[in-house]
Amino acid sequence: MTAPSTGAPPGTGRRLLGLLTPRPYGWPTPVATAVGVVVALALSSALITLTGGSPSASVQALFQGSMADWTAWSSTLLYAAPLLLVAVGACVSARSGSFNIGQEGQVLIGALAAAWVGLRLAINGPVLIVIMLLAAALAAGAWAGLSSLMHRLRGVNVVVSTMLMTFVAQQVVAYAVNMPWLLQESRVGNAPVSPQSNPLPPSGLLGSFGEYPGLQINGGLILAVAAAVVIAVAITRTPWGFRLTMLGRNPLAAKHAGVRVNALGGAALAISGALAGLAGAVLLASPVGVNRLQPGMAMNIGWDGLLVALVARNRPLAAMPVALLFGVLRSGGGFLAATGVPSFLVDVVKALLVLAFVAPPVVVALARRRRSGGRTAGARQEAAPVAEEAIA
Amino acid sequence: MTTVDERARELTPPSTPALRLRGISKRYGPVVAADNVDLDVNRGEIHGLLGENGAGKSTLMKILLGLVQRDSGTIMRGDTPVDVHDPQDAVALGIGMVHQHFSLIDALTVWENVILGDTGRIDRAAACRQVEEVSRRYGLPIDPTARVERLSAGERQRVELIKCLRRDPSVLILDEPTSVLTQAESAELFTVLRHVVRAENRAVILISHKLAEITAATDQVTVLRKGKVVFHSATSETTPPELARQMVGRDVSLRAEGAALGMLPVDGPVPSGEPPAEPPPETPAESAAASSDAAPATTGTAPALRLRDLTVVIDGVTVLSDLSLDVAPGEIVGLYGVEGNGQSTLGDLLSGLILPSSGAVELAGRPVELERPGALHRAGLGIIPEDRHSSGVVLDMSVAENLVMKSIGDVSGRGFVSRRKMHAVARRLAAEFNIVAPSLDAPVRSLSGGNQQRVVLARELSAGPGVLVAAQPTHGLDVGAIEDMYRRLRDAASGGVAVLLISTELEEVMALASRIAVICSGRITGVLPAAEATAERLGMLVGGVAA
Amino acid sequence: MSAADNISTILSSGIRLTVPLAFAACGEYLAERAGTMNISLEAMMLGAAFGSVATASATGSATAGLVAGVLIGLLIGLVHGNLAHRLEVNTFVVGLVLNALVLGLTSYLITISSFDSHQVSQVSVPWLRDIPLIGHPLFVERWPVYLLLLVVPLTWWLVERSRWGLELRAVGEQPQAADVTGIRVNLRRRQALLWCGALAGLGGAYLAVGEVGSFNQNMTAGRGYIVIAAVIFGAWRLGRTLLGCVLFGLADAMRLALPALGLTMNSQLLVVAPYLLALVAMLVFTTRNREPKSLGQPFVRGST
Repeated sequence: MTAPSTGAPPGTGRRLLGLLTPRPYGWPTPVATAVGVVVALALSSALITLTGGSPSASVQALFQGSMADWTAWSSTLLYAAPLLLVAVGACVSARSGSFNIGQEGQVLIGALAAAWVGLRLAINGPVLIVIMLLAAALAAGAWAGLSSLMHRLRGVNVVVSTMLMTFVAQQVVAYAVNMPWLLQESRVGNAPVSPQSNPLPPSGLLGSFGEYPGLQINGGLILAVAAAVVIAVAITRTPWGFRLTMLGRNPLAAKHAGVRVNALGGAALAISGALAGLAGAVLLASPVGVNRLQPGMAMNIGWDGLLVALVARNRPLAAMPVALLFGVLRSGGGFLAATGVPSFLVDVVKALLVLAFVAPPVVVALARRRRSGGRTAGARQEAAPVAEEAIA
Repeated sequence: MTTVDERARELTPPSTPALRLRGISKRYGPVVAADNVDLDVNRGEIHGLLGENGAGKSTLMKILLGLVQRDSGTIMRGDTPVDVHDPQDAVALGIGMVHQHFSLIDALTVWENVILGDTGRIDRAAACRQVEEVSRRYGLPIDPTARVERLSAGERQRVELIKCLRRDPSVLILDEPTSVLTQAESAELFTVLRHVVRAENRAVILISHKLAEITAATDQVTVLRKGKVVFHSATSETTPPELARQMVGRDVSLRAEGAALGMLPVDGPVPSGEPPAEPPPETPAESAAASSDAAPATTGTAPALRLRDLTVVIDGVTVLSDLSLDVAPGEIVGLYGVEGNGQSTLGDLLSGLILPSSGAVELAGRPVELERPGALHRAGLGIIPEDRHSSGVVLDMSVAENLVMKSIGDVSGRGFVSRRKMHAVARRLAAEFNIVAPSLDAPVRSLSGGNQQRVVLARELSAGPGVLVAAQPTHGLDVGAIEDMYRRLRDAASGGVAVLLISTELEEVMALASRIAVICSGRITGVLPAAEATAERLGMLVGGVAA
Repeated sequence: MSAADNISTILSSGIRLTVPLAFAACGEYLAERAGTMNISLEAMMLGAAFGSVATASATGSATAGLVAGVLIGLLIGLVHGNLAHRLEVNTFVVGLVLNALVLGLTSYLITISSFDSHQVSQVSVPWLRDIPLIGHPLFVERWPVYLLLLVVPLTWWLVERSRWGLELRAVGEQPQAADVTGIRVNLRRRQALLWCGALAGLGGAYLAVGEVGSFNQNMTAGRGYIVIAAVIFGAWRLGRTLLGCVLFGLADAMRLALPALGLTMNSQLLVVAPYLLALVAMLVFTTRNREPKSLGQPFVRGST
């Protein structure tokens, strides 16, 4: 064989950020990520110290609120479930090469659909919650599908349209809970009505396994874990997932290989929206909230879920521990205030952690390219010198 | 900016080298793009640079422009060694280039494009005046306030020229300047160039494939092949046939020997690294005759591939026009032409990436429903795309995944991809096609170009196609990989596959094809049996000279 | 109140709500012409709003607060530019992270600190302020409002007339071609983000030390996204973008004035107007033809 094989030893190739970043190989990425995480945590500690708090007390409070006992664990898991659903959806669209950032709105649309169906039907028996979940998935899937449609028909950038649609969704929900004929709560006597829906009937709630004060596992978590596993298997083991990955990594090659590019891409976006919609239904029907549709009920779960997917580098199974970590930060955040550290600290920590996971692979890849290629885009040129010839 | 008048005062006497290159080398991994190149470019002369695609012309020019850094060698301006780190350095040294692509911004006006890259305040009136002045001086009429997106190809080139000449370069480089021009526009261009060298004592480097152009317009000619200078002469002392021979190279016969051998059936895989049997020297004509003898009779049977009146219009430009071509089973037909004459569009079409405006593709006598995804593949057409990175492979997926990409259903059962089946297929193909990879799970990105190309070939042939389209199949490969590719293509043909070889390399077409079709401006301009297609004849035909 | 008074009030409040948008829009417009879809605009405005109030409180000068706001905007622009156009992290990811980071950080800091209230002084233009209906809204304002008279023409001049702007436009349209011509593509994009940061900072600071005099949690409340919608609505032309800002500011003023006017109209349509109009602009008009061709795409030499 005259052609030498170059590149990384077997097994070092990792599925990283997909389309969002080039894929580097070799050891520097995990090391750089570890360094990034340490820096993120150090910065967070410095912030606490500088503002007169105690990092160790804060860690303790976070632990108290999220993991110290079964009640804390139950609360953590309640947050982790919708986060995971959103993140798994984000994995699907990012894998297909479209970057959906409208989950916050899709969560709300899902909650809206679930509330509407739940309150209108109000039937007894477990069938109601199933219908609510289906309605949430369908509505939010269609909502996200609109962005795909706009892209196909008029070339509107998916990132931009999903982002704008988020704000539209917020107002749609605000409208719904302000309209008595739609979803606003019923007037009882002369009490003022708030912009929120009536509480859901008991048959429209997601039940939990286990009882207070023991560990409670809500149906939403089971749904989320199931979704993560199903999507992980679908992505890595089925022909559909194979085509999806192809589409995300190289749309031209996918088209060449006979993939229905538009249909598959649209479906990926719709599935991503549907999962965010499910998260909305879970927020509505699980004990994490008040079981009413409220304009503020998405609580940034959509944005955070997107961050979970970024940290998990678009792998649904990796999203499980990350969603758990974000759940820990959320439920622990409530306990922080007791130590004199505002709960907003967890938002800072989250953002820094995301940066610590997102930047290193890109930076490592860039460093490699710089090293190998000098001023020109070395990696590409090494691979295709004659293609370069052809261009100039 | 210095004016031409100022410069004229400091002009060096004619025939002194404006630029000297000594021992310039550049390699990309295993591929040597420039190998110890020496080149003297004199003032007052047009210096033709001739070579096939991939011969290293563009790399050399990119080094001069500071877009690529050389590995070794010296660039001298006069007798002073200089460094060119980036395009700004090149401008400072008085090196200007008329780019064929990617240099004008469509959304900007002519005058804005012309002053792009300057420094200092913008003076619109002065810029327009300068554009008009330069355009008048060289006879390149243009409206300075027009938007570039509305201009024709010829007008765009005028803008490029004006932009370049306004900076008063001592060396002007033109890369395939006439490939998009009409005859009249080309004539106008050469008038300008003659004026530039004769009256203003500049040096011009003209990169071209077109022999007629080189012979008519240049004073010196240098031929590059495989990154080396293989020939240099005053243009008046050479002839187009000599240049065609130099460009294609004497080792054509060596390859042709392989072509003859390849027509014999081969049992089982042969390690490709194995050198071919000692090749007795042979002339191109003889070898071509050998291959055409071995080709099966094309009469009587339906062609395996029939392209019927294919027309493709992209953004109002007719890229392919009524293109028709038949390929019979077991035959290798070469589609030869200078790059940019519609070949890549044809490749995209046969890859299922674009649809024709009119016309049809028939496989084994049946028209293919092109709008259905994957229809060509299902109808038995395999293709090695021109740019394997853009549509041939998915660099970040594994070797095994790339090998089963088009037949993912075959390695799946009950809704799941079977890793076991996938690896079994991949292992078999890797062995059969000598794919060297760290592992079947390694990303294709980690493979050498030759092995990446073998992955594509293995995948396409494994589907048992009736037709194989190979578009520039050896671009960027080293010699061993090229020989291997040639052998595989011949094996496929001798196994009854109709092979359409789209290539810009004359020697490749000569070595492999039994019939050679020449494409020019999206049309087939002639089909010759290989026996009648000498290097000179094809080289001149494709260079716009009647053969 | 008379109808004229009502109109005057709404105009007045609309203009005040427009001003922060208009400053930021000048910045975002320039960044997008250079090819960056800068969604960390929200972070720039919010961070600057906080920084201006903190600085004003510490120095006792609202003007110092204004300057601090600009500096914080610049800082965020610098971080975004280096992450996206030097390290090549996806620009939308950078924006999401910076927005989350700044929102968390400012919320955290405002919870544990308290600041004195400072506001920049008001200017009242004699004679002109007495024009009926529009006199008071336009000519009795906090002085930074009048900086718009400088910033808007300057932005226009920079983009359309300066060499820097010519290069920015080239970089936003065809970065590969610009590179061949010798323009440092990523440097220009980073510089554009600095201009964007400075102006978004000015807008955010004006909101805090100009209009309100104090900072509250998530004070900008999505104004950065509204500005992005305005640039899209404006089809990447400065005039139309600013018109969008005025429309969106007036819609907001209307919403606030609804109760006072005794109207029972639903406010949601007014809130959603910017986003819907931006979407409609992209879907219905030929807006896309004017979009910088490489908007949102990273530049890597040698690709495509």
